[in-house]
Amino acid sequence: MSADITKKDPEATPPGPAPTRAAPIKAVPVRHYGRYVSALIALAALGSVVYAFSQGDINWGFIPDYFFNDRILSGVRETLILTVLSMVIGVVGGVLLAVMRLSKNPVVSSIAWFYIWFFRGTPVLVQLFVWFNLGFVFEYMNLGPFYKDEWSDFMTPFLTALLGLGLNEAAYMAEICRAGLLSVDEGQTEAAHALGMSQGKTLRRIVLPQAMRVIVPPTGNEVINMLKTTSLVAAVQYYELFKHAQDIGMTSGATVEALFLAATWYLILTSILSVGQYYIERYYARGSLRQLPQTPWQKVRAHLTSLSSRSEVTR
Amino acid sequence: MTAMVKAEGVHKSFGQVEVLKGIDLEVATGEVFCLIGPSGSGKSTFLRCINHLEKINAGRLYVDGDLVGYRQKGDKLYELKDAEVALKRRDIGMVFQRFNLFPHKTALENVMEAPVQVRGVSKAAARERAGQLLERVGLSDKAGNYPSQLSGGQQQRVAIARALAMDPKLMLFDEPTSALDPELVGEVLDVMRQLAEEGMTMIVVTHEMGFAREVGDSLVFMDGGVVVEAGDPREVLTSPRHERTQSFLSKVL
Repeated sequence: MSADITKKDPEATPPGPAPTRAAPIKAVPVRHYGRYVSALIALAALGSVVYAFSQGDINWGFIPDYFFNDRILSGVRETLILTVLSMVIGVVGGVLLAVMRLSKNPVVSSIAWFYIWFFRGTPVLVQLFVWFNLGFVFEYMNLGPFYKDEWSDFMTPFLTALLGLGLNEAAYMAEICRAGLLSVDEGQTEAAHALGMSQGKTLRRIVLPQAMRVIVPPTGNEVINMLKTTSLVAAVQYYELFKHAQDIGMTSGATVEALFLAATWYLILTSILSVGQYYIERYYARGSLRQLPQTPWQKVRAHLTSLSSRSEVTR
Repeated sequence: MTAMVKAEGVHKSFGQVEVLKGIDLEVATGEVFCLIGPSGSGKSTFLRCINHLEKINAGRLYVDGDLVGYRQKGDKLYELKDAEVALKRRDIGMVFQRFNLFPHKTALENVMEAPVQVRGVSKAAARERAGQLLERVGLSDKAGNYPSQLSGGQQQRVAIARALAMDPKLMLFDEPTSALDPELVGEVLDVMRQLAEEGMTMIVVTHEMGFAREVGDSLVFMDGGVVVEAGDPREVLTSPRHERTQSFLSKVL
Protein backbone atom coordinates (compact mmCIF):
# COMPACT_ATOMS: atom_id res chain seq x y z
CA MET A 1 0.00 0.00 0.00
CA SER A 2 1.05 3.56 -0.58
CA ALA A 3 2.69 5.40 2.27
CA ASP A 4 0.50 7.70 4.29
CA ILE A 5 1.30 11.16 3.02
CA THR A 6 0.91 13.79 5.70
CA LYS A 7 -1.19 16.59 4.35
CA LYS A 8 0.31 20.06 4.52
CA ASP A 9 -1.39 22.67 6.58
CA PRO A 10 -3.25 24.82 4.05
CA GLU A 11 -2.56 27.90 6.17
CA ALA A 12 1.19 27.44 5.88
CA THR A 13 2.80 29.86 3.41
CA PRO A 14 4.65 28.23 0.52
CA PRO A 15 8.41 28.63 0.51
CA GLY A 16 10.08 31.14 -1.85
CA PRO A 17 9.80 34.90 -2.24
CA ALA A 18 6.47 36.55 -1.52
CA PRO A 19 4.56 37.40 -4.74
CA THR A 20 4.73 41.06 -5.73
CA ARG A 21 1.85 42.88 -7.38
CA ALA A 22 2.85 43.59 -11.01
CA ALA A 23 2.32 47.19 -12.19
CA PRO A 24 -0.30 47.36 -14.98
CA ILE A 25 1.07 48.24 -18.43
CA LYS A 26 0.35 51.74 -19.69
CA ALA A 27 0.87 52.05 -23.42
CA VAL A 28 -0.52 54.09 -26.31
CA PRO A 29 -2.90 51.78 -28.23
CA VAL A 30 -2.53 51.33 -32.00
CA ARG A 31 -4.89 53.64 -33.94
CA HIS A 32 -6.86 51.89 -36.65
CA TYR A 33 -7.52 54.73 -39.12
CA GLY A 34 -8.73 52.28 -41.78
CA ARG A 35 -11.62 51.34 -39.49
CA TYR A 36 -12.81 54.94 -39.23
CA VAL A 37 -12.77 55.29 -43.02
CA SER A 38 -14.65 52.04 -43.66
CA ALA A 39 -17.25 52.92 -40.99
CA LEU A 40 -17.83 56.30 -42.66
CA ILE A 41 -18.25 54.72 -46.11
CA ALA A 42 -20.70 52.15 -44.74
CA LEU A 43 -22.73 54.83 -42.93
CA ALA A 44 -22.87 56.96 -46.07
CA ALA A 45 -24.11 54.03 -48.16
CA LEU A 46 -26.78 53.18 -45.58
CA GLY A 47 -27.84 56.83 -45.36
CA SER A 48 -28.28 57.13 -49.11
CA VAL A 49 -30.50 54.01 -49.20
CA VAL A 50 -32.69 55.37 -46.37
CA TYR A 51 -32.85 58.76 -48.11
CA ALA A 52 -33.86 57.16 -51.40
CA PHE A 53 -36.78 55.35 -49.76
CA SER A 54 -37.86 58.48 -47.89
CA GLN A 55 -38.07 60.28 -51.22
CA GLY A 56 -40.09 57.51 -52.89
CA ASP A 57 -43.84 57.82 -53.28
CA ILE A 58 -44.67 55.40 -50.44
CA ASN A 59 -47.78 55.63 -48.34
CA TRP A 60 -46.18 54.62 -45.00
CA GLY A 61 -49.50 55.02 -43.22
CA PHE A 62 -50.76 51.92 -45.05
CA ILE A 63 -48.66 49.59 -42.91
CA PRO A 64 -50.07 50.50 -39.45
CA ASP A 65 -53.57 50.80 -40.96
CA TYR A 66 -53.56 47.27 -42.32
CA PHE A 67 -51.27 45.71 -39.70
CA PHE A 68 -54.11 43.99 -37.84
CA ASN A 69 -56.39 43.66 -40.85
CA ASP A 70 -58.53 40.51 -40.59
CA ARG A 71 -57.23 39.03 -43.82
CA ILE A 72 -53.62 39.70 -42.86
CA LEU A 73 -54.16 38.09 -39.45
CA SER A 74 -55.80 35.03 -41.00
CA GLY A 75 -52.86 34.92 -43.41
CA VAL A 76 -50.44 34.93 -40.47
CA ARG A 77 -52.42 32.10 -38.90
CA GLU A 78 -52.36 30.04 -42.10
CA THR A 79 -48.63 30.64 -42.52
CA LEU A 80 -47.97 29.45 -38.97
CA ILE A 81 -50.20 26.38 -39.34
CA LEU A 82 -48.53 25.46 -42.60
CA THR A 83 -45.06 25.96 -41.10
CA VAL A 84 -45.80 23.79 -38.07
CA LEU A 85 -47.51 20.97 -39.97
CA SER A 86 -44.89 20.89 -42.73
CA MET A 87 -42.12 20.76 -40.14
CA VAL A 88 -43.89 17.93 -38.31
CA ILE A 89 -44.01 15.95 -41.55
CA GLY A 90 -40.42 16.97 -42.22
CA VAL A 91 -39.04 15.98 -38.81
CA VAL A 92 -40.93 12.69 -38.51
CA GLY A 93 -40.09 11.78 -42.09
CA GLY A 94 -36.51 12.95 -41.61
CA VAL A 95 -35.86 10.78 -38.54
CA LEU A 96 -37.44 7.82 -40.32
CA LEU A 97 -35.36 8.36 -43.46
CA ALA A 98 -32.16 8.87 -41.43
CA VAL A 99 -32.69 5.60 -39.57
CA MET A 100 -33.51 3.88 -42.88
CA ARG A 101 -30.39 5.34 -44.45
CA LEU A 102 -28.21 3.99 -41.60
CA SER A 103 -29.98 0.62 -41.66
CA LYS A 104 -28.00 -2.51 -42.43
CA ASN A 105 -30.72 -3.59 -44.85
CA PRO A 106 -29.41 -2.55 -48.30
CA VAL A 107 -32.90 -2.31 -49.86
CA VAL A 108 -34.20 0.01 -47.14
CA SER A 109 -31.11 2.21 -47.16
CA SER A 110 -31.13 2.55 -50.97
CA ILE A 111 -34.79 3.57 -50.96
CA ALA A 112 -34.00 6.28 -48.42
CA TRP A 113 -31.02 7.34 -50.50
CA PHE A 114 -33.20 7.59 -53.62
CA TYR A 115 -35.88 9.62 -51.82
CA ILE A 116 -33.33 12.11 -50.53
CA TRP A 117 -31.64 12.29 -53.94
CA PHE A 118 -34.94 13.03 -55.67
CA PHE A 119 -36.41 15.58 -53.28
CA ARG A 120 -33.17 17.45 -52.69
CA GLY A 121 -32.37 17.49 -56.36
CA THR A 122 -35.57 19.19 -57.57
CA PRO A 123 -36.77 22.72 -56.72
CA VAL A 124 -39.64 23.00 -54.21
CA LEU A 125 -41.59 25.25 -56.54
CA VAL A 126 -41.51 22.59 -59.26
CA GLN A 127 -42.57 19.94 -56.71
CA LEU A 128 -45.47 22.15 -55.62
CA PHE A 129 -46.67 22.54 -59.20
CA VAL A 130 -46.37 18.81 -59.77
CA TRP A 131 -48.58 18.07 -56.74
CA PHE A 132 -51.00 20.78 -57.86
CA ASN A 133 -51.30 19.45 -61.38
CA LEU A 134 -51.41 15.72 -60.66
CA GLY A 135 -55.13 15.98 -61.36
CA PHE A 136 -54.28 15.87 -65.07
CA VAL A 137 -52.96 12.32 -64.73
CA PHE A 138 -55.12 10.93 -61.93
CA GLU A 139 -58.86 11.21 -62.16
CA TYR A 140 -59.64 9.66 -58.80
CA MET A 141 -57.96 9.26 -55.45
CA ASN A 142 -58.72 5.64 -54.71
CA LEU A 143 -57.67 4.03 -51.45
CA GLY A 144 -59.74 0.88 -51.99
CA PRO A 145 -62.61 0.54 -49.53
CA PHE A 146 -61.47 3.36 -47.23
CA TYR A 147 -61.63 6.44 -49.43
CA LYS A 148 -62.52 7.39 -52.95
CA ASP A 149 -62.99 10.86 -54.33
CA GLU A 150 -62.29 12.94 -57.37
CA TRP A 151 -58.67 14.08 -57.47
CA SER A 152 -59.52 17.79 -57.52
CA ASP A 153 -61.64 17.39 -54.38
CA PHE A 154 -58.93 15.38 -52.66
CA MET A 155 -55.94 17.50 -53.58
CA THR A 156 -56.97 20.86 -52.15
CA PRO A 157 -54.50 23.77 -52.22
CA PHE A 158 -53.86 23.11 -48.52
CA LEU A 159 -52.92 19.47 -49.08
CA THR A 160 -50.82 20.45 -52.09
CA ALA A 161 -48.94 22.96 -49.99
CA LEU A 162 -48.54 20.59 -47.05
CA LEU A 163 -47.30 17.63 -49.09
CA GLY A 164 -45.08 19.77 -51.27
CA LEU A 165 -43.35 21.48 -48.36
CA GLY A 166 -43.38 18.57 -45.88
CA LEU A 167 -42.05 15.86 -48.17
CA ASN A 168 -39.34 18.15 -49.47
CA GLU A 169 -38.38 19.11 -45.93
CA ALA A 170 -38.12 15.45 -44.90
CA ALA A 171 -35.23 15.01 -47.31
CA TYR A 172 -33.28 17.87 -45.74
CA MET A 173 -34.14 16.82 -42.20
CA ALA A 174 -32.96 13.29 -42.99
CA GLU A 175 -29.47 14.54 -43.72
CA ILE A 176 -29.46 16.67 -40.55
CA CYS A 177 -30.63 13.73 -38.43
CA ARG A 178 -28.13 11.38 -40.03
CA ALA A 179 -25.28 13.76 -39.19
CA GLY A 180 -26.61 13.95 -35.62
CA LEU A 181 -26.86 10.19 -35.19
CA LEU A 182 -23.35 9.70 -36.57
CA SER A 183 -21.98 12.35 -34.20
CA VAL A 184 -22.73 10.23 -31.12
CA ASP A 185 -19.70 8.26 -29.94
CA GLU A 186 -19.83 4.53 -30.66
CA GLY A 187 -18.90 3.85 -27.05
CA GLN A 188 -22.39 5.01 -26.07
CA THR A 189 -24.04 2.31 -28.17
CA GLU A 190 -21.59 -0.26 -26.82
CA ALA A 191 -22.23 0.75 -23.23
CA ALA A 192 -26.00 0.52 -23.76
CA HIS A 193 -25.69 -2.87 -25.47
CA ALA A 194 -23.41 -4.14 -22.73
CA LEU A 195 -26.17 -3.31 -20.24
CA GLY A 196 -28.55 -5.46 -22.26
CA MET A 197 -30.52 -2.66 -23.90
CA SER A 198 -32.14 -3.52 -27.23
CA GLN A 199 -31.31 -1.80 -30.50
CA GLY A 200 -34.48 0.31 -30.40
CA LYS A 201 -34.13 1.32 -26.75
CA THR A 202 -30.50 2.27 -27.33
CA LEU A 203 -31.53 4.50 -30.21
CA ARG A 204 -34.45 6.10 -28.37
CA ARG A 205 -32.99 6.47 -24.88
CA ILE A 206 -29.27 6.94 -25.48
CA VAL A 207 -28.34 7.91 -29.03
CA LEU A 208 -31.20 10.20 -30.13
CA PRO A 209 -31.15 12.48 -27.05
CA GLN A 210 -27.44 13.05 -27.59
CA ALA A 211 -27.86 13.50 -31.32
CA MET A 212 -30.40 16.24 -30.56
CA ARG A 213 -27.59 18.59 -29.57
CA VAL A 214 -26.30 18.37 -33.14
CA ILE A 215 -29.77 18.16 -34.73
CA VAL A 216 -31.51 21.09 -33.00
CA PRO A 217 -29.51 24.13 -34.20
CA PRO A 218 -29.82 23.36 -37.94
CA THR A 219 -33.45 22.34 -37.38
CA GLY A 220 -34.13 25.78 -35.93
CA ASN A 221 -32.72 27.22 -39.12
CA GLU A 222 -34.96 24.89 -41.11
CA VAL A 223 -38.05 26.12 -39.22
CA ILE A 224 -37.16 29.73 -39.96
CA ASN A 225 -36.46 28.80 -43.56
CA MET A 226 -39.75 26.92 -43.76
CA LEU A 227 -41.66 29.94 -42.46
CA LYS A 228 -40.31 31.95 -45.35
CA THR A 229 -40.63 29.16 -47.90
CA THR A 230 -44.38 28.92 -47.20
CA SER A 231 -44.70 32.10 -49.26
CA LEU A 232 -44.07 29.92 -52.33
CA VAL A 233 -47.42 28.19 -51.95
CA ALA A 234 -49.09 31.42 -53.06
CA ALA A 235 -48.24 30.03 -56.49
CA VAL A 236 -50.61 27.08 -55.99
CA GLN A 237 -53.48 29.32 -54.88
CA TYR A 238 -53.14 28.74 -51.18
CA TYR A 239 -54.03 31.86 -49.19
CA GLU A 240 -51.41 32.53 -46.56
CA LEU A 241 -49.73 35.75 -45.44
CA PHE A 242 -48.00 36.58 -48.72
CA LYS A 243 -50.98 35.79 -50.95
CA HIS A 244 -53.35 37.84 -48.76
CA ALA A 245 -50.92 40.80 -48.69
CA GLN A 246 -50.53 40.59 -52.46
CA ASP A 247 -54.30 40.59 -52.95
CA ILE A 248 -54.84 43.53 -50.61
CA GLY A 249 -52.06 45.40 -52.35
CA MET A 250 -53.58 44.80 -55.78
CA THR A 251 -57.09 45.89 -54.83
CA SER A 252 -56.05 48.93 -52.79
CA GLY A 253 -53.35 50.04 -55.22
CA ALA A 254 -50.68 49.93 -52.51
CA THR A 255 -48.68 47.05 -53.99
CA VAL A 256 -45.28 47.85 -52.50
CA GLU A 257 -46.71 48.92 -49.15
CA ALA A 258 -48.51 45.57 -48.84
CA LEU A 259 -45.24 43.77 -49.56
CA PHE A 260 -43.52 45.82 -46.84
CA LEU A 261 -46.30 44.86 -44.48
CA ALA A 262 -45.84 41.15 -45.26
CA ALA A 263 -42.06 41.52 -44.82
CA THR A 264 -42.60 43.14 -41.41
CA TRP A 265 -44.79 40.26 -40.28
CA TYR A 266 -42.24 37.69 -41.52
CA LEU A 267 -39.50 39.54 -39.62
CA ILE A 268 -41.53 39.52 -36.40
CA LEU A 269 -42.32 35.81 -36.71
CA THR A 270 -38.75 34.77 -37.50
CA SER A 271 -37.45 36.87 -34.59
CA ILE A 272 -39.80 35.10 -32.18
CA LEU A 273 -38.67 31.74 -33.55
CA SER A 274 -35.01 32.68 -33.03
CA VAL A 275 -35.66 33.34 -29.36
CA GLY A 276 -37.42 29.99 -28.99
CA GLN A 277 -34.51 28.27 -30.71
CA TYR A 278 -32.08 29.73 -28.16
CA TYR A 279 -33.96 28.19 -25.26
CA ILE A 280 -34.34 24.78 -26.92
CA GLU A 281 -30.61 24.65 -27.68
CA ARG A 282 -29.91 25.52 -24.07
CA TYR A 283 -32.09 22.62 -22.92
CA TYR A 284 -30.28 20.05 -25.05
CA ALA A 285 -26.86 21.40 -24.03
CA ARG A 286 -27.34 20.04 -20.51
CA GLY A 287 -24.72 17.48 -19.63
CA SER A 288 -22.40 18.56 -22.42
CA LEU A 289 -21.48 21.87 -20.83
CA ARG A 290 -20.31 22.22 -17.26
CA GLN A 291 -22.31 25.40 -16.87
CA LEU A 292 -25.32 26.26 -18.99
CA PRO A 293 -25.10 29.67 -20.69
CA GLN A 294 -27.20 32.32 -18.96
CA THR A 295 -30.56 33.24 -20.43
CA PRO A 296 -30.80 36.90 -21.51
CA TRP A 297 -33.08 37.51 -18.53
CA GLN A 298 -30.50 36.05 -16.12
CA LYS A 299 -27.84 38.23 -17.72
CA VAL A 300 -29.94 41.37 -17.22
CA ARG A 301 -30.53 40.46 -13.58
CA ALA A 302 -26.81 39.77 -13.03
CA HIS A 303 -25.96 43.17 -14.49
CA LEU A 304 -28.53 44.93 -12.34
CA THR A 305 -27.29 43.35 -9.11
CA SER A 306 -23.66 44.06 -9.97
CA LEU A 307 -24.57 47.67 -10.76
CA SER A 308 -26.32 48.18 -7.45
CA SER A 309 -23.46 46.60 -5.51
CA ARG A 310 -20.98 48.76 -7.40
CA SER A 311 -22.85 51.95 -6.55
CA GLU A 312 -22.80 50.89 -2.92
CA VAL A 313 -19.02 50.58 -3.05
CA THR A 314 -18.58 54.05 -4.54
CA ARG A 315 -20.81 55.50 -1.90
CA MET B 1 -15.47 -24.73 -8.60
CA THR B 2 -17.31 -24.45 -11.88
CA ALA B 3 -16.10 -22.41 -14.81
CA MET B 4 -17.82 -19.04 -15.33
CA VAL B 5 -16.05 -18.46 -18.63
CA LYS B 6 -14.51 -21.12 -20.82
CA ALA B 7 -12.69 -20.45 -24.07
CA GLU B 8 -11.72 -23.20 -26.51
CA GLY B 9 -9.54 -22.23 -29.45
CA VAL B 10 -11.10 -18.76 -29.85
CA HIS B 11 -10.09 -17.00 -33.08
CA LYS B 12 -10.96 -13.47 -34.12
CA SER B 13 -9.96 -11.54 -37.23
CA PHE B 14 -10.62 -7.99 -38.33
CA GLY B 15 -10.44 -8.29 -42.10
CA GLN B 16 -7.02 -9.73 -42.91
CA VAL B 17 -5.61 -9.15 -39.43
CA GLU B 18 -5.90 -12.08 -37.05
CA VAL B 19 -6.12 -10.63 -33.55
CA LEU B 20 -6.86 -13.78 -31.57
CA LYS B 21 -5.07 -16.93 -32.71
CA GLY B 22 -6.62 -19.62 -30.58
CA ILE B 23 -7.26 -18.72 -26.96
CA ASP B 24 -7.87 -21.49 -24.44
CA LEU B 25 -8.60 -20.55 -20.87
CA GLU B 26 -10.97 -21.03 -17.97
CA VAL B 27 -12.21 -18.53 -15.42
CA ALA B 28 -13.60 -20.07 -12.25
CA THR B 29 -16.66 -18.67 -10.51
CA GLY B 30 -15.74 -16.13 -7.86
CA GLU B 31 -12.21 -15.56 -9.02
CA VAL B 32 -10.43 -12.39 -10.09
CA PHE B 33 -8.85 -13.13 -13.42
CA CYS B 34 -6.26 -10.67 -14.72
CA LEU B 35 -5.27 -10.31 -18.37
CA ILE B 36 -2.02 -8.49 -19.04
CA GLY B 37 0.05 -7.93 -22.14
CA PRO B 38 1.32 -5.29 -24.52
CA SER B 39 -1.17 -3.19 -26.50
CA GLY B 40 -2.40 -4.99 -29.58
CA SER B 41 -1.99 -8.36 -27.93
CA GLY B 42 -5.74 -9.01 -28.24
CA LYS B 43 -6.66 -8.89 -24.56
CA SER B 44 -9.34 -6.20 -24.96
CA THR B 45 -10.73 -7.93 -28.03
CA PHE B 46 -11.01 -11.18 -26.10
CA LEU B 47 -12.86 -9.37 -23.32
CA ARG B 48 -15.31 -7.88 -25.82
CA CYS B 49 -15.93 -11.33 -27.30
CA ILE B 50 -17.18 -12.55 -23.92
CA ASN B 51 -20.31 -10.37 -24.08
CA HIS B 52 -20.52 -10.66 -27.85
CA LEU B 53 -19.62 -7.06 -28.66
CA GLU B 54 -17.29 -8.81 -31.11
CA LYS B 55 -18.22 -11.98 -33.00
CA ILE B 56 -15.64 -14.75 -32.87
CA ASN B 57 -14.60 -16.46 -36.10
CA ALA B 58 -13.69 -19.87 -34.76
CA GLY B 59 -13.64 -21.85 -31.55
CA ARG B 60 -16.14 -21.94 -28.73
CA LEU B 61 -16.77 -19.49 -25.93
CA TYR B 62 -18.99 -20.35 -22.96
CA VAL B 63 -20.31 -18.12 -20.20
CA ASP B 64 -21.84 -19.97 -17.25
CA GLY B 65 -22.13 -23.07 -19.42
CA ASP B 66 -23.98 -21.31 -22.28
CA LEU B 67 -22.48 -20.74 -25.71
CA VAL B 68 -21.87 -17.04 -26.41
CA GLY B 69 -23.78 -15.69 -29.42
CA TYR B 70 -25.01 -19.06 -30.70
CA ARG B 71 -27.31 -21.92 -29.87
CA GLN B 72 -26.31 -25.45 -30.62
CA LYS B 73 -28.88 -27.96 -31.83
CA GLY B 74 -27.32 -31.26 -32.72
CA ASP B 75 -24.34 -30.50 -34.94
CA LYS B 76 -25.71 -27.18 -36.16
CA LEU B 77 -25.04 -23.74 -34.74
CA TYR B 78 -27.75 -21.12 -34.88
CA GLU B 79 -26.91 -17.45 -34.49
CA LEU B 80 -28.80 -15.82 -31.63
CA LYS B 81 -31.20 -12.97 -32.36
CA ASP B 82 -30.33 -9.48 -31.14
CA ALA B 83 -32.94 -9.77 -28.40
CA GLU B 84 -31.48 -13.07 -27.17
CA VAL B 85 -27.97 -11.62 -27.14
CA ALA B 86 -29.27 -8.64 -25.17
CA LEU B 87 -30.88 -11.05 -22.68
CA LYS B 88 -27.52 -12.70 -22.01
CA ARG B 89 -25.72 -9.39 -21.70
CA ARG B 90 -27.93 -8.40 -18.77
CA ASP B 91 -25.96 -10.74 -16.55
CA ILE B 92 -22.53 -9.51 -17.65
CA GLY B 93 -21.41 -6.11 -16.43
CA MET B 94 -18.81 -4.21 -18.40
CA VAL B 95 -16.60 -1.28 -17.47
CA PHE B 96 -14.83 0.56 -20.26
CA GLN B 97 -11.51 2.34 -20.47
CA ARG B 98 -13.26 5.55 -21.58
CA PHE B 99 -16.09 5.20 -19.00
CA ASN B 100 -18.83 5.68 -21.64
CA LEU B 101 -21.25 7.15 -19.14
CA PHE B 102 -24.38 8.62 -20.70
CA PRO B 103 -23.51 12.34 -20.74
CA HIS B 104 -27.13 13.55 -20.90
CA LYS B 105 -28.04 11.78 -17.66
CA THR B 106 -26.97 12.48 -14.09
CA ALA B 107 -24.90 9.95 -12.14
CA LEU B 108 -28.06 8.61 -10.50
CA GLU B 109 -29.95 8.39 -13.81
CA ASN B 110 -26.99 6.58 -15.37
CA VAL B 111 -27.23 3.90 -12.70
CA MET B 112 -31.06 3.71 -12.88
CA GLU B 113 -31.30 3.51 -16.67
CA ALA B 114 -30.72 -0.19 -17.30
CA PRO B 115 -32.74 -1.61 -14.37
CA VAL B 116 -35.76 0.51 -15.37
CA GLN B 117 -35.47 0.07 -19.15
CA VAL B 118 -34.22 -3.50 -19.32
CA ARG B 119 -35.41 -5.27 -16.19
CA GLY B 120 -38.60 -3.25 -15.82
CA VAL B 121 -37.88 -2.30 -12.22
CA SER B 122 -40.08 0.52 -10.90
CA LYS B 123 -38.49 3.95 -10.91
CA ALA B 124 -38.75 4.36 -7.15
CA ALA B 125 -37.09 1.01 -6.46
CA ALA B 126 -34.38 1.69 -9.04
CA ARG B 127 -33.69 5.09 -7.55
CA GLU B 128 -33.28 3.65 -4.07
CA ARG B 129 -31.00 0.89 -5.33
CA ALA B 130 -28.97 3.37 -7.40
CA GLY B 131 -28.54 5.53 -4.32
CA GLN B 132 -27.19 2.55 -2.39
CA LEU B 133 -24.80 1.65 -5.19
CA LEU B 134 -23.48 5.20 -5.44
CA GLU B 135 -22.94 5.16 -1.69
CA ARG B 136 -21.04 1.91 -2.06
CA VAL B 137 -18.62 3.52 -4.53
CA GLY B 138 -18.40 6.58 -2.28
CA LEU B 139 -20.32 9.01 -4.48
CA SER B 140 -23.66 9.58 -2.77
CA ASP B 141 -22.99 13.33 -2.77
CA LYS B 142 -22.53 13.33 -6.57
CA ALA B 143 -25.84 11.65 -7.47
CA GLY B 144 -27.25 14.77 -9.15
CA ASN B 145 -24.10 15.63 -11.12
CA TYR B 146 -23.70 15.10 -14.84
CA PRO B 147 -20.66 13.07 -15.95
CA SER B 148 -18.96 16.20 -17.31
CA GLN B 149 -18.97 17.61 -13.79
CA LEU B 150 -17.12 14.59 -12.36
CA SER B 151 -13.44 13.70 -12.36
CA GLY B 152 -12.25 10.67 -14.32
CA GLY B 153 -12.01 8.54 -11.20
CA GLN B 154 -15.52 9.52 -10.12
CA GLN B 155 -16.89 8.79 -13.60
CA GLN B 156 -15.33 5.35 -13.58
CA ARG B 157 -16.81 4.61 -10.15
CA VAL B 158 -20.25 5.64 -11.44
CA ALA B 159 -19.65 3.32 -14.40
CA ILE B 160 -18.94 0.46 -12.00
CA ALA B 161 -22.12 1.26 -10.05
CA ARG B 162 -24.06 1.34 -13.34
CA ALA B 163 -22.81 -2.15 -14.24
CA LEU B 164 -23.54 -3.48 -10.74
CA ALA B 165 -27.13 -2.19 -10.91
CA MET B 166 -27.98 -5.12 -13.19
CA ASP B 167 -26.79 -7.63 -10.56
CA PRO B 168 -24.32 -9.26 -12.92
CA LYS B 169 -22.77 -12.65 -12.25
CA LEU B 170 -19.66 -11.62 -14.12
CA MET B 171 -17.87 -8.27 -14.42
CA LEU B 172 -15.58 -7.36 -17.31
CA PHE B 173 -13.09 -4.54 -16.80
CA ASP B 174 -11.42 -3.19 -19.93
CA GLU B 175 -8.37 -1.24 -18.72
CA PRO B 176 -10.51 0.61 -16.18
CA THR B 177 -7.70 2.84 -14.94
CA SER B 178 -5.75 3.50 -18.15
CA ALA B 179 -7.52 6.80 -18.94
CA LEU B 180 -7.09 8.15 -15.41
CA ASP B 181 -4.63 10.57 -13.86
CA PRO B 182 -2.19 8.60 -11.69
CA GLU B 183 -3.57 10.03 -8.46
CA LEU B 184 -7.12 8.93 -9.32
CA VAL B 185 -6.22 5.30 -10.04
CA GLY B 186 -6.30 4.33 -6.37
CA GLU B 187 -9.96 5.19 -5.76
CA VAL B 188 -11.12 3.00 -8.66
CA LEU B 189 -8.88 0.09 -7.65
CA ASP B 190 -10.24 0.35 -4.09
CA VAL B 191 -13.79 -0.14 -5.36
CA MET B 192 -12.67 -3.11 -7.46
CA ARG B 193 -10.80 -4.60 -4.53
CA GLN B 194 -13.93 -4.34 -2.39
CA LEU B 195 -15.94 -6.01 -5.14
CA ALA B 196 -13.42 -8.86 -5.32
CA GLU B 197 -13.66 -9.38 -1.58
CA GLU B 198 -17.43 -9.76 -1.92
CA GLY B 199 -16.81 -12.69 -4.26
CA MET B 200 -17.68 -11.20 -7.65
CA THR B 201 -16.27 -13.03 -10.65
CA MET B 202 -14.12 -10.47 -12.42
CA ILE B 203 -12.06 -10.48 -15.59
CA VAL B 204 -9.72 -7.52 -15.55
CA VAL B 205 -7.63 -6.31 -18.46
CA THR B 206 -5.07 -4.12 -16.74
CA HIS B 207 -1.65 -2.59 -16.61
CA GLU B 208 -1.79 -2.31 -12.82
CA MET B 209 0.60 -5.07 -11.81
CA GLY B 210 0.25 -4.15 -8.15
CA PHE B 211 -3.49 -4.78 -8.30
CA ALA B 212 -3.00 -8.05 -10.18
CA ARG B 213 -0.54 -9.30 -7.61
CA GLU B 214 -2.60 -8.25 -4.62
CA VAL B 215 -6.15 -9.07 -5.70
CA GLY B 216 -5.77 -11.45 -8.64
CA ASP B 217 -6.43 -15.17 -8.28
CA SER B 218 -5.08 -16.04 -11.72
CA LEU B 219 -3.20 -14.16 -14.35
CA VAL B 220 -2.69 -14.61 -18.06
CA PHE B 221 -0.02 -12.91 -20.13
CA MET B 222 -1.07 -12.49 -23.75
CA ASP B 223 1.02 -11.45 -26.72
CA GLY B 224 0.33 -11.54 -30.45
CA GLY B 225 -3.09 -13.09 -30.00
CA VAL B 226 -2.02 -16.09 -27.97
CA VAL B 227 -1.71 -16.92 -24.28
CA VAL B 228 2.01 -16.92 -23.54
CA GLU B 229 1.96 -17.68 -19.85
CA ALA B 230 -0.70 -18.36 -17.24
CA GLY B 231 -0.69 -19.07 -13.56
CA ASP B 232 -0.77 -17.57 -10.10
CA PRO B 233 -0.19 -13.81 -10.36
CA ARG B 234 2.43 -13.71 -7.62
CA GLU B 235 4.42 -16.47 -9.34
CA VAL B 236 4.13 -15.15 -12.88
CA LEU B 237 4.92 -11.58 -11.89
CA THR B 238 7.92 -12.38 -9.69
CA SER B 239 9.46 -15.26 -11.60
CA PRO B 240 8.15 -15.42 -15.18
CA ARG B 241 9.26 -18.50 -17.01
CA HIS B 242 8.75 -17.31 -20.55
CA GLU B 243 11.28 -14.95 -22.15
CA ARG B 244 8.60 -12.73 -23.69
CA THR B 245 6.92 -12.33 -20.29
CA GLN B 246 10.24 -11.45 -18.72
CA SER B 247 11.01 -8.71 -21.22
CA PHE B 248 7.45 -7.26 -20.94
CA LEU B 249 7.52 -7.24 -17.15
CA SER B 250 11.00 -5.71 -17.02
CA LYS B 251 9.60 -2.75 -18.94
CA VAL B 252 6.40 -2.18 -16.96
CA LEU B 253 7.44 -3.05 -13.42
